[in-house]
Amino acid sequence: MTDVAGAPGTTDRADAPEPAGERRGSEALHFARRNPKLLIGSGIVLAFMLLGFIGPFFLSDNPNEYVGPQTQPPNGEYWFGTTTFGQDIWAQFVYGVRSTFVIGLFGGGVAFLIGMTVGFVAGYKGGIVDDILNMLTNVVLVLPAMVVLIVAIAYLDVRGLFTQGMFIGLSAWPWAARAVRSQTLSLATRDYVDLARLSGRRTWRIITTEVAPNMSSYLVMSFILLFGGAVLTAAGLDFIGLGPSNGVSLGAMLQSAVNWSALQLGMWWWFVPPGLGITAIVGALYVLNVGLDEVFNPKLREL
Amino acid sequence: MRMLRLPAALAALALAATACAGADGGDGGPGSGYPRGETLYTTGTAWSAPTSWNPMMRGGFAVGTIGLVYESLFHYDPETGEYVHWLAESDEWVSDTVHEITLREGVTWNDGEPLVAQDVVTTLELGQTDGVPYGNVWDYIENVEATDERTVTVTFSESRPQEWMNWAYSNPILPAHVWGDMSATDITDSANENPVGTGPYVYESHTDDRMIWERNDEWWATDALDMTMDARYIVDIVNASNDVTMGMLTQGEVDLSNNFLPGIDQLLNSNENIVSFYEGPPYMKSANTAWLVPNHNRAPLDDTAFRQALAHSINITEIVEGPYANLVQPANPTGLLPEWDAYIDHELVSEEGFSHDAAEAVAILEEAGYMDEDGDGFVETPDGEPIALTLEVPSGWTDWMEAARLIEQHAQDVGINITAEFPDQGLLDQNRNAGEYDLVINNARQLSNSPWTYYDYLFQLPIQDEQTTVNFHRYENEEAWQLTEELARVPAGDVEAAAEVTSQLQEIFLAELPVIPLWYNGQWSQANNTHWTNWPSEAEGTPNSAAVMWEGWYEMGGINTLAEIEPVG
Amino acid sequence: MWRYIGRKLFIYLLTFIVAVTINWMIPRFMPGDPVRNMLSRAAINDPEAMASMTAYYEDLFGLDEPLYQQYLNFWVSLFQGDLGISVMRYPEPVTDVIMGSVPYTLGLLLPAILLSWIVGNRFGAFAARSKALDNTVLPVGYVLTATPYMWIALLLSYTLGIVAGIFPTAGGFSYSLRPEFSWVFIYDLISHWFLPFLSMFLVALGGWAIGMRNMIIYELEADYSNYLQALGAPRRLIRRYAFRNAMLPQITGLAVQLGTIIAGSLLTEVVFNYPGLGTLILDSLENRDFFLLQGILLFVVIGVLIANFIIDIIYVLVDPRTRVQMTGGSS
Repeated sequence: MTDVAGAPGTTDRADAPEPAGERRGSEALHFARRNPKLLIGSGIVLAFMLLGFIGPFFLSDNPNEYVGPQTQPPNGEYWFGTTTFGQDIWAQFVYGVRSTFVIGLFGGGVAFLIGMTVGFVAGYKGGIVDDILNMLTNVVLVLPAMVVLIVAIAYLDVRGLFTQGMFIGLSAWPWAARAVRSQTLSLATRDYVDLARLSGRRTWRIITTEVAPNMSSYLVMSFILLFGGAVLTAAGLDFIGLGPSNGVSLGAMLQSAVNWSALQLGMWWWFVPPGLGITAIVGALYVLNVGLDEVFNPKLREL
Repeated sequence: MRMLRLPAALAALALAATACAGADGGDGGPGSGYPRGETLYTTGTAWSAPTSWNPMMRGGFAVGTIGLVYESLFHYDPETGEYVHWLAESDEWVSDTVHEITLREGVTWNDGEPLVAQDVVTTLELGQTDGVPYGNVWDYIENVEATDERTVTVTFSESRPQEWMNWAYSNPILPAHVWGDMSATDITDSANENPVGTGPYVYESHTDDRMIWERNDEWWATDALDMTMDARYIVDIVNASNDVTMGMLTQGEVDLSNNFLPGIDQLLNSNENIVSFYEGPPYMKSANTAWLVPNHNRAPLDDTAFRQALAHSINITEIVEGPYANLVQPANPTGLLPEWDAYIDHELVSEEGFSHDAAEAVAILEEAGYMDEDGDGFVETPDGEPIALTLEVPSGWTDWMEAARLIEQHAQDVGINITAEFPDQGLLDQNRNAGEYDLVINNARQLSNSPWTYYDYLFQLPIQDEQTTVNFHRYENEEAWQLTEELARVPAGDVEAAAEVTSQLQEIFLAELPVIPLWYNGQWSQANNTHWTNWPSEAEGTPNSAAVMWEGWYEMGGINTLAEIEPVG
Repeated sequence: MWRYIGRKLFIYLLTFIVAVTINWMIPRFMPGDPVRNMLSRAAINDPEAMASMTAYYEDLFGLDEPLYQQYLNFWVSLFQGDLGISVMRYPEPVTDVIMGSVPYTLGLLLPAILLSWIVGNRFGAFAARSKALDNTVLPVGYVLTATPYMWIALLLSYTLGIVAGIFPTAGGFSYSLRPEFSWVFIYDLISHWFLPFLSMFLVALGGWAIGMRNMIIYELEADYSNYLQALGAPRRLIRRYAFRNAMLPQITGLAVQLGTIIAGSLLTEVVFNYPGLGTLILDSLENRDFFLLQGILLFVVIGVLIANFIIDIIYVLVDPRTRVQMTGGSS
């Protein structure tokens, strides 16, 4: 669930896109406004984000409270119905969406930082540093992340959002590192980078001022995919009961629906919304990502 | 099209491989499956793969080993409160300290040997081996003797009929010709793969997820008690998750489920085929009491006033109606099961019993000096120490976890800072036994022949470093323990004399509240009528016996239920 | 070519060493005192099991020995095939317990991976061909690939299993049957296998279709395609070239996606209570059977490495350029 490399738009392309620098600005904006994938994708993501971050202010502090009648299908008062105990599924859903974004930003962010650092350093430095980092990347890439995560997290006594995000980040970075590395490789030989190097600037400054900005679209897309991967991984961990203790999340909602036989009792309103939420958020991210790809890469605009 | 042939072949290959693996796991047996009309599928007794059939390994043997294969001298009928002669044909108390038991004629072990008095003698003598679970009978038995082929005379150094009869119906008689010369380690540790018993079933086969028993056509009770077992095979499936079990029950893959299934009330109301004992709430009879167990070695739980306040804070109705959806009933303040109603001193209970009353809880706390001086919303001890307690229930026990969350909330509402935690069951048991906890929920005592077992749990002394079965709360009250011992000495069946003692015990209990009774856990029993009918229910013309196959319940009606059910068609 | 394979093998060997090292490290460097914790947490009533576990751990952790010695001991017992005794299924060795579940997981994984890859590539290639198809395949593909495995499993279990009653929703085969080679049993086995298979197939399908579609569009915009088009080559021919070239990254993608699909199979098995490694993981989590858990990790890693190697060989066989690419240094 973390290796999203095979997901749309991330295949290791041999032909690096033109440096985005020249094209940034009005042209990209022009195409962005006309790209339905980008608009639909970002619309859905924004809507969920608003729901997750503003919604809880309109709801009670404890979405697990028994507030209503038990086992109610969706109705005017409880939009998503209630659980076996009379918990408001809408409230749980809103809080779940929030924690989905939190884990996505945090887990995806950690993976992004590691991936970016490793990728830049390997691609820019080259030589033995590259060889070692590349080997490390390949090794972590082959390891089945989910199983490693399960074993590692199983040993923890107390589980929080922070540890979960940290562990996900630590296992999800390799393909991003690989992508960043190959981009950096091609950029590192450009004239303006050579110029900067000759002027005696520090490596880090060159990377942050010359290399990174010229592949910013690429970085944004990597982050989006890492975000989606982290969300799916976290949902899987929550579902088997390795999520944050006492937290509310969409994966945990699925778990409790299964534990309390929602399927056998026909309580579809308990297990449909959380899965739909995850699918919508992650799916919208992917679509958004392809939209971005099309905006920044003119070759794809046709068809 | 060529491309599709390869995956198809691969798929077939994979399936064949799967089939092979499955075949390896099986234990052979007849060529086809078990005929549905002659096979009873049960679940709810086993938590792990069957590995032992040794009745001495309590908690370790495949459930059914005692009951289906090995049988006891008596059974006990909790409905009538009477002992039923089982392997014993008759018994007589010659004096206060001498019990003479005559065995049935014509009972044979499933290896063909007859049941003789020596078997009973050997069984009791095995109790002197280290590690045999009933060694404590020798605290009060002086001598056991086979007076003739079928008569056993047990002489007691101290008369404890209630305790002795509890042994006599819950412990199986073992064949002397098998167990007589076994080494001590074999007695307690061997897997006993081919159990030789007198009962209605014998071992057929097992895999990791099921235990299969086959009918013993030579069973003595077919003639003696006119009981016939229509089920030729009993397939007892190792517990799966709640939802899987519920799916199997609705689809008729399981005939009897003996687990708490959340939401089963909805199914009982909507599905004609799924039945339980009562038509409406609480649907099941009660099996045991769930208590909130405080650790008396930890302040402020050693303070009676604090425990009283805690007891008043808990809104049991919300627990019963919430997570349990009325599948259980709130417990009587004494905690004694409904079947023990005759032992409850109702007058005392109405005067001294507690009930949910948050205002009263606050008042008790204030009077005893528990105040919230630092304004954090939670009371401190009279000395000003902050109070922070944890309530632990095993992770994965979904109903108890929900109940614990509610208790946390109720207690916090009156200012008692309790947090619910869900550790692993093994860890919890270990910490509980060692006295390393604040509060737990426990239900370790089942319905039995006498409330003596209940008070034995509550008051047993002395307290050991490890309390493995009773008095987890580490409550020390010499007077209560003396009364409990006195209860053991009341003649079997003398309810009035026993009630006199239990009344005094209840007085102590209600005043001190060593543990806080919460609700009665049910005899979780939901059956599907599709393949087998005539399940016990409150309706006329159906059996009344317990339809649970848990360890210890075969002797309290389980066997009768098996004999009463009828195949469909 | 041999250099390429040799280099890959080296990476896999390294990965194996890292996996074993992680396995060794996790219980040692987690916060708290894991050995004591593990022993006290294991739900064992059986004193014999307890004793054997304590002995195993004392031997394995050799707490008074220096760390490097402990590490070496760990490898030695590994090479003796000793992964410990399962606590949950005491006294079965961990290896035996795992071997009992591996066929079920493989039986799900292999068909799901291969069929979804083949069908997905076909769909993707079709989609790239026409706008109308593209507009349907693409959204469906995105939805499928974004679906959490367990959710699609739940939906299928509810609709096809519980509501429609066509397929059983739990277990590997019926309790009324004994494993044997008969049509009844094989039919039963397949009907239990179908829904978990379908869940995995569907989720994986979306990813492959989109990947293929995108690759083909890249290829069609590549210089050689434009050149061919300028020369007046038939569209069919250009597309065939594009498809061939697009296959290669899809093969690599197979290796990269392996971890994700395995994770998916574990979750799917949990939903269907299918007796493979996923259900075993859940059971061992619930029973705190850490030997078993760690054993499963090693098994999965070995499986992934073997699969990767097979994919590498296929890649080499399909693409003669591998040699050239390897000297380019972008593995």
